Amino acid sequence: MQKNSSFLSRRNILLGALQATGLLVLSGCESMFNSLHQNKTVLSILESVEGANLWLLRLVTPRGKLAQEFSEADISRYFKPNGNPPPFTMEYVMNAMTGWPLWRLEVAGLVKEPKSFSLEQIKALPARTQITRHDCVEGWSAIAKWKGVVLREIMKQVQPDPKARYVVFYCMDSDNEGNHFYESIDLRDAGHPQTILAYEMNGRPLPVEHGAPLRLRVETQLGYKMAKYIQRIEFVENFKEIARGRGGYWADQGYEWYAGI
Amino acid sequence: MQTDSLIYRHNRITRLTHWVNAFALLILFMSGLQIFNAYPNLHWGSKAEPDEVFFSIYATNDDGVIRGYTQLYGWTVETTGFLGIQQTEMGPFPRAFPSWLTIPGYFWLAGGRRWHFFFAWIFALNGLLYFFYNLARGHVRKFFLTPRDLSRLLPMALYYLRLRRESPQEGEYNPLQKMAYTGVFFFLTPLIFLSGFAMSPQLDAGFNWLPAMFGGRQSARTVHFLLTFLFAFFTFGHVVMVMTTGLINNMRSMVTGWYVEGEKTPETTASSSEKSEPPANKEADDDAEK
Repeated sequence: MQKNSSFLSRRNILLGALQATGLLVLSGCESMFNSLHQNKTVLSILESVEGANLWLLRLVTPRGKLAQEFSEADISRYFKPNGNPPPFTMEYVMNAMTGWPLWRLEVAGLVKEPKSFSLEQIKALPARTQITRHDCVEGWSAIAKWKGVVLREIMKQVQPDPKARYVVFYCMDSDNEGNHFYESIDLRDAGHPQTILAYEMNGRPLPVEHGAPLRLRVETQLGYKMAKYIQRIEFVENFKEIARGRGGYWADQGYEWYAGI
Repeated sequence: MQTDSLIYRHNRITRLTHWVNAFALLILFMSGLQIFNAYPNLHWGSKAEPDEVFFSIYATNDDGVIRGYTQLYGWTVETTGFLGIQQTEMGPFPRAFPSWLTIPGYFWLAGGRRWHFFFAWIFALNGLLYFFYNLARGHVRKFFLTPRDLSRLLPMALYYLRLRRESPQEGEYNPLQKMAYTGVFFFLTPLIFLSGFAMSPQLDAGFNWLPAMFGGRQSARTVHFLLTFLFAFFTFGHVVMVMTTGLINNMRSMVTGWYVEGEKTPETTASSSEKSEPPANKEADDDAEK
């Protein structure tokens, strides 16, 4: 009995010492990895594979192949509205309550014919309806039915310049520091047949929390690329001069510009 | 008693890729847990309905009493201090996997993704280097499990359990080793890549069968998570075997390439219950660059 308890206590001491050493090593590792992550050189090396990801994924994926489309029965019962809260300006609220009479979509930049569309005019353009899966960077997926104008249709109307390489979407929502949301995609994803500017979700007008009156759907990328509350589209050669210069609100925070993975 | 002799056991490429691989797997594991923490729930199928979660790590707050729980289907276990709630200097903090298991050690999904993708490339390129170099040298076939090895699996397990005198081993790798290595190379590794790829919207658009082969994108995410722990299990077993069959000798051979055959290391003689390591094979290692 005596022996047994002393054995146990010795074992406990040993285990405790082992655990303490382990924790010390682990917390050392933790702070080492944290400082490595905050080191600009290390971070830029880590970030360098984004280009490789873009290159590899585009290389192996046949151009214009469609993302899987689901049936009505697959539509999610719950679809989390993520990101910044809806714009809370007097103008936005008044517009939302009255059916967007004053809202217009401006399309400009490196294009032959800059244009401005009312919501009615956008709805009159050839539309596409698709039941697709939305993949959030956090890890969840949700399925919804989207209806909107194919972005290619807008491009046909404004005729981008050969110099234009990216399409930038400027939005009405902003974070609590006043940074406006914006996103950009390249012309390959902009020209994808499933890339649409959606004004309907699950057969109803796009709800405010999902980006009313108009949001982007890019089925080849993660959800954070799909700008909501769009008010202006610009065709540009590069996005260095926009906000923090990384091509999008989330890219400016450290996420990848290319969210195809 | 055998006379000690040095044999050249692991070639340069094998040694290099082994340690790069060990490091890459560690980073992939820890950054993967960081990514998991952004949505610490698992689902089957294509979508993630909140009421269809089958595995979840979460925290509750009952009038200031903060607890962490881990739930699998109908079973819920309190895991405060490890999973769900971590004790920090500033009090209990809700996070699925604790900071010392994640990279970075604070909650930063974007950062976790940077580490994960960078080391996924390292893991892939390093693995290809090992595989093709050793395939060309004829080494891969030595650990490839063949049908004739299957009948030797049980005798080998019995030998390990000291229930059988003779080792059924022929060649450099014993049947259980072959099963472990073949499983990791031809099953675990391709599947963890495929399930990772199946989470990419770009690849899913290009190849609709990719998420479908797992039963949907959320299933692919679940499979990716589960395979992670099979890798961890393999690594654990691997480390145990390394430690029980002569730690110093094994480590030396994986660092310098040289292995002492017939040596009785303190590790194996220390524990009286263990007689000695399994008889080292007598076949000449044709990888040897003597």
